[in-house]
Amino acid sequence: MLIPIRCFTCGKPIAHMWEDYKEQVSKGEDVGKVMNKLGLDRYCCRGVFLGTVELIDLAGEFKRF
Amino acid sequence: MKVEKINFDKKNDKISFLLKGVNESFVNVIRRIITEEVPTLAIEDVEIKENSSGLYDEMLALRLGLVPIKTDLKSYTFKEGCKCEGAGCARCELKMAMKVSKKGYVYADSAVSKDPKCKFVYNMPITKILPKQKVELQMTAILGRGKDHAKWSPGWGFYKKEPVITIGNVKDAEKVANVCPKGIFNAKGGKLALNKDKVYDCHLCNACVDLDDVKLEDTDNYIFTLESWGQLSCKDVLTTSMSILLEKLDQLGANLK
Ligand SMILES: [Zn+2]
Ligand SMILES: [Zn+2]
Repeated sequence: MLIPIRCFTCGKPIAHMWEDYKEQVSKGEDVGKVMNKLGLDRYCCRGVFLGTVELIDLAGEFKRF
Repeated sequence: MKVEKINFDKKNDKISFLLKGVNESFVNVIRRIITEEVPTLAIEDVEIKENSSGLYDEMLALRLGLVPIKTDLKSYTFKEGCKCEGAGCARCELKMAMKVSKKGYVYADSAVSKDPKCKFVYNMPITKILPKQKVELQMTAILGRGKDHAKWSPGWGFYKKEPVITIGNVKDAEKVANVCPKGIFNAKGGKLALNKDKVYDCHLCNACVDLDDVKLEDTDNYIFTLESWGQLSCKDVLTTSMSILLEKLDQLGANLK
């Protein structure tokens, strides 16, 4: 849906890196290198970035009530 | 007990140091006090006036709770034991408000804090709104401990034993240098050498030992790494954890009398 605020496993705050990550990856940079640059050195945090699919734009179209 | 600083990564708020002359249980006490006892501020109550974004109210509140808040331990106390007797005052509560109607991400920085010293540390996307959608809410942050909820943990501490690597009669230096995931070895002209700056990165995986004549031993010294999540600096986390430990020991002594 949206990038989680923190890594599920270790609790590191990660959400503020999401847009930077998305921009650099869309420019065609190597995903692993981008994550190294952002300071994500554990594979738990890296997995959160790899597994995130942003669906909020779609989900926001539907009224919830 | 002796302490030697190994590395301080200011950008990522990460410190590592070598502890000599202590045993594992003592190092673990430091770790547990850091993650469970050192208090920080975090959002506890959220009053939602309007939330028409794609996220449910509960999810929005949970996300807000997890965002680290810069904590000033001197000017805040726990709600229990405060002079206001649980009613809530400026000493035990931090009020924040947020009102966003511009489409796109709703950022943590759009929250207005009553205390300019204590704001959200990172500019995180909390939710995303489409045109005509709106988020308006009021938040209350209180001091808490990591043992009640992980959102109050000031950081993460972990330790390993100090490695001692001795290189013997190595047949294929190149191969050993490449097998190490942390790049601890240098292979120059068929000779294997240790990269002195990186020895402490070794996580005792034994890949080099399995491959060739390299000896990997551990000592009784511990490498302790502390990563701060941003609410407090690494130094504050360590000093507060130590004073909490001393307080606990004092209590124990007083009760035994
Ligand atoms: Zn992680
Ligand atoms: Zn109070």
